[in-house]
Amino acid sequence: MIEVESLTKRFGATLAVDDLSFSVSPGTVTGFLGPNGAGKSTTLRAILGLVIPDAGRTRVLGKSYAELGHPFQQVGAILETAEAHPGRSGRNHLRVLATAAGVSRARVDDVLELVGMTEAAGRRVKSYSLGMRQRLALAGALLGDPETLVLDEPANGLDPQGIRWLRDFLRMLAGEGRTVLVSSHVLAEVAQTVDHVVIIHKGRLVRQAAMREMEAMAAGAAVVRSPDAARFASLLNEAGIDAQSMGDGELSVAAPTARVGELAAANGVVLHELTAARATLEDVFLELTGDEAQ
Amino acid sequence: MTALLRAEVLKLRTTRGLYGYLIVLVVLTGLGAAGQVSTAHLFERGDPAFQRDMLSQSTVFAALIALLLGILSVTVEWRHGTITRTFLVTPRRWRVLAAKEINGFLLGVGLAILGLVVAIAVIAPVLSHDSASLHVDGAFAARVAEILLAAALWGALGAGVGTLIQHQTGAIVGAIIWVLVVETLLAALLEWAGWKGIADVLPRHALDALAGHEAGLSTAAGGAVGVAYVVVFAALGFLRVRRQDIT
Repeated sequence: MIEVESLTKRFGATLAVDDLSFSVSPGTVTGFLGPNGAGKSTTLRAILGLVIPDAGRTRVLGKSYAELGHPFQQVGAILETAEAHPGRSGRNHLRVLATAAGVSRARVDDVLELVGMTEAAGRRVKSYSLGMRQRLALAGALLGDPETLVLDEPANGLDPQGIRWLRDFLRMLAGEGRTVLVSSHVLAEVAQTVDHVVIIHKGRLVRQAAMREMEAMAAGAAVVRSPDAARFASLLNEAGIDAQSMGDGELSVAAPTARVGELAAANGVVLHELTAARATLEDVFLELTGDEAQ
Repeated sequence: MTALLRAEVLKLRTTRGLYGYLIVLVVLTGLGAAGQVSTAHLFERGDPAFQRDMLSQSTVFAALIALLLGILSVTVEWRHGTITRTFLVTPRRWRVLAAKEINGFLLGVGLAILGLVVAIAVIAPVLSHDSASLHVDGAFAARVAEILLAAALWGALGAGVGTLIQHQTGAIVGAIIWVLVVETLLAALLEWAGWKGIADVLPRHALDALAGHEAGLSTAAGGAVGVAYVVVFAALGFLRVRRQDIT
């Protein structure tokens, strides 16, 4: 359970987060989306007690982060900063964390195995690729076996293979019933994994919705070509469906293809083409986040 | 708190930086001790007061390195961004800072012990050749304790300075310049102006008085002033970090 209530944070003259409220239910995977600079990282850092809000508050599992008894065992996080000292080995880095948090050393080897870093664990972090660093960060987040995970742009800088690995991994975590809040500026990165989305832009909430709703928004549009376009457009309008002429007998219709086809048959309109103009999730996302993202 | 302290010690042990500093400490202390022993007269070397002062002089490097490693134990976390993870594990920030203060203190003790061992290893064979010996008595033990305490306070002071300044190069260069140049010039200026009393309570003067190689304050007063510096810097560091945004 993560709650953000009227969170406001200003850095100098920049209003990074502006009266933002949303919540993440237990056991769900929520995508936290917005273009770069929308205030995602600031919000996540406020949830984790790293950024001090100017107004409003954040709670994890009903408490402020600092009030959690064993935060490391309750909330795991990946943030967009270097995870470890470059001169320390991956294993020693995790040992430092385990020691400070009171986690057993055996668990260090477990999480190294889990993220596929056992072989590289003895090497110094400065020799790691970006993908290995992200794996190490994920190992650090999972070290305390937390129920709740906060991941800030975990796919950033990963190659396609790494992104796929991450996606499978997130799905595995979700399958275990963990609560995950994962940020991204690319909807497609998380679309296959998340149940809910929270979309912000310029520090404000644009929409909080189930992924199904987002998909529905993307699905309902059709392109029609007809020698009788003008008449069909008015028929569609009478049926309460928005239809716009694209010229040359082509219409852009805001309804699923099945509905458009039924109307055409019922009214004896000849169609030369009927195709689903499937707006991608990315289009919906861009539309919601407005001018700046385009 | 012991878990945090063990984590701090582990952080220190698991990077190569520490070992470089230890080598520098051994070499400089050895050279310093050798210089003093070789320039002293035979009758001086057997003198208990000379022997104690020689140990005090030889451990200045341990004190300086304790200060630097104390600073680094904090600034390195900001430099590499690991302070984020540190505060995620321990969101009550004062606990992290307290662990770093204690770590700096213990580090100072450890470095001073190493410095003393090197200095004694240099003087012992010379004394044996002189058919003299090291005067290990109450005054000797007291001096050793004062040297250890002074270095410990340097280490803790470093943790406070690092928390306050955070910028690694700035903190390290600033500390070195203060200790080696600024404080010396400032003290000379103050003495010239007739304010020697003020010069005596400058940090290096006070801690050197505690360690037995500065004439101004008494040992106890030097220690008290040194503790005051540690407390003030730790408090200022805490105020700086308490509500600092970690971005």
